[in-house]
Amino acid sequence: MTRLASPRLTGYAALAALALVAGLAAGRVELVALATPFALAAVLGAAAGRRPELAATLAVDRERALEGEDVGLTLELSSPTGASRVDVLALLPDELAPARPNPRALWLPPGETRTIELPLRCDRWGAFSLGPVLVRARDALGFHAWETSLAGSVPLRVYPSVETLHALLPPFETQVYVGNQVSRTRGEGIEFADVRPWTHGDRMRRINWRATARRGELWVNDQHPERNTDVVLFLDTFAEVQRDGRSTLDMAVRAATSLAHRYLSRKDRVGVVSFGGFLSWLLPASGTRQLYKIVDSLIQMDVVLSFAAKGVDFLPPRSLPPKALVIALTPLLDARSASAILDLRARGFDLVVVEVSPVPFVDPGKGTLADLSYRLWRLSRESLRARYERAGVPVVEWVDGVPLNVPLEEVAAFRRYAGPVRA
Amino acid sequence: MTLAALSVLVYGAVLADAVARDPGIAGATVVVGAFGLLFLALVLWRGAQEYLPAAAACLGGVYAVAVVVHGASVDERAPLVAAGLLLCCELAAWSVDERTRIAAERPVVRARAGALAALVGGALAAAAVVVALAAAPAGRGLPWTIAGAAAAVLVVALAVRSTQR
Repeated sequence: MTRLASPRLTGYAALAALALVAGLAAGRVELVALATPFALAAVLGAAAGRRPELAATLAVDRERALEGEDVGLTLELSSPTGASRVDVLALLPDELAPARPNPRALWLPPGETRTIELPLRCDRWGAFSLGPVLVRARDALGFHAWETSLAGSVPLRVYPSVETLHALLPPFETQVYVGNQVSRTRGEGIEFADVRPWTHGDRMRRINWRATARRGELWVNDQHPERNTDVVLFLDTFAEVQRDGRSTLDMAVRAATSLAHRYLSRKDRVGVVSFGGFLSWLLPASGTRQLYKIVDSLIQMDVVLSFAAKGVDFLPPRSLPPKALVIALTPLLDARSASAILDLRARGFDLVVVEVSPVPFVDPGKGTLADLSYRLWRLSRESLRARYERAGVPVVEWVDGVPLNVPLEEVAAFRRYAGPVRA
Repeated sequence: MTLAALSVLVYGAVLADAVARDPGIAGATVVVGAFGLLFLALVLWRGAQEYLPAAAACLGGVYAVAVVVHGASVDERAPLVAAGLLLCCELAAWSVDERTRIAAERPVVRARAGALAALVGGALAAAAVVVALAAAPAGRGLPWTIAGAAAAVLVVALAVRSTQR
């Protein structure tokens, strides 16, 4: 506990001394009377400076919340000695907005416990640590103050809100496990594919009796099997652009959460790769548990400045399974991620690039030079996009404020008419 | 803001009393008092409490000069002036403490107001006792002067020691 003494305490003592000496020298009682209040204040102020005993506990009503929801933070403060004034400040991240004043000054009677309810509105997703609580206790006249931090910290995870997606990108190839995606191959399934002549091993119930009667030999139905898919969400975390509390990473995380939620509800396997200064990955898996793991990893993502050259080779092979649909969410700001995406395409992955556009976050600037550099920057982005298209990678620009459904539908339309290109 | 205004008001009242005491030295009194006011303004504007004793010293000095110049009779209003000086300083200090814009509960404000009232009341009473004792025919001469000086040194030492604890 740090003790702070007001400078006026020493000043009062000095004033009292000065007035007393002057009173003695001049032989005037008025000066002694003038010294009396200051001497009294100095003595009383010093006597009142006893260190208070403070204890605090911090609790949050739940550990997980959704963006936009309210959570309740409860702070219990007690002191056996009491304090005339206790300034309490719960250290909170900027993304959580308190609905009541923070800090606030309390009166703490001896032996009593004060409970402070602090409702917080979760403005933005993230993994947060609430606390510790900074406490400053003062004596009645503010001659002394004691500062300390109490109560440690409590974790709170705020998950990003999920956007409703009407349709998802179907992959070119499915996996071998059962799922909800109608495969392009033929086999056991529900969806009718074609009829063909009967061969040994075909089951009786697959015989198409109408075609058999018409052609005079046994014909059977073929179906498309329902299979699952592997989807890898490839997030570029090398760089981001921010403006007014919004950023390209923010958009990418929201999109990744929505896509993961939707694909996992379809029994697909979803994995995540964070490709940036800090490399991390989550192997593809399915189920609700995987959704939580993905969202937990997404909310901890951040842009870490790094100049190290990184490629796809740094990733473990299992993080990018064969035949997986790779959806890259990138602002296309860093050359390393741009080349890594081309590398993925060269390795034959079914790749889609959703360009989280940084353009709305950037001011063109004033002056001829600024205008010229802005136009050059836009041109270089277009050139990069053209490079991807030449490599057969569909690139779609996603601008802030536009629903994610729009770029997804654009890519789906592109893929409907364009087949996969073998590198 | 209210506390700052009250502090300036009390300062002005004490200064006006000192100026009115001896109009002959009113010019010098006003100049020194204005210096003190400057220090007080510095305290209130910049939150620098370390200048508070300087403001009080200017005002106290003005009063002391006025008392000495005025004559040999004991000023019966001295306890009021002394308590006014302390009140001015404490109001300014309270005003500085409230600059942090921390939302304070009503009991916190009441506790400080009560403590301030008790301190100023106690100071007024103590100063009045000092003035009353001076009027009492207790005795005079070197022994009393030595005793007074020893008491003064003791009080100051006690105050300094307690502030450094």
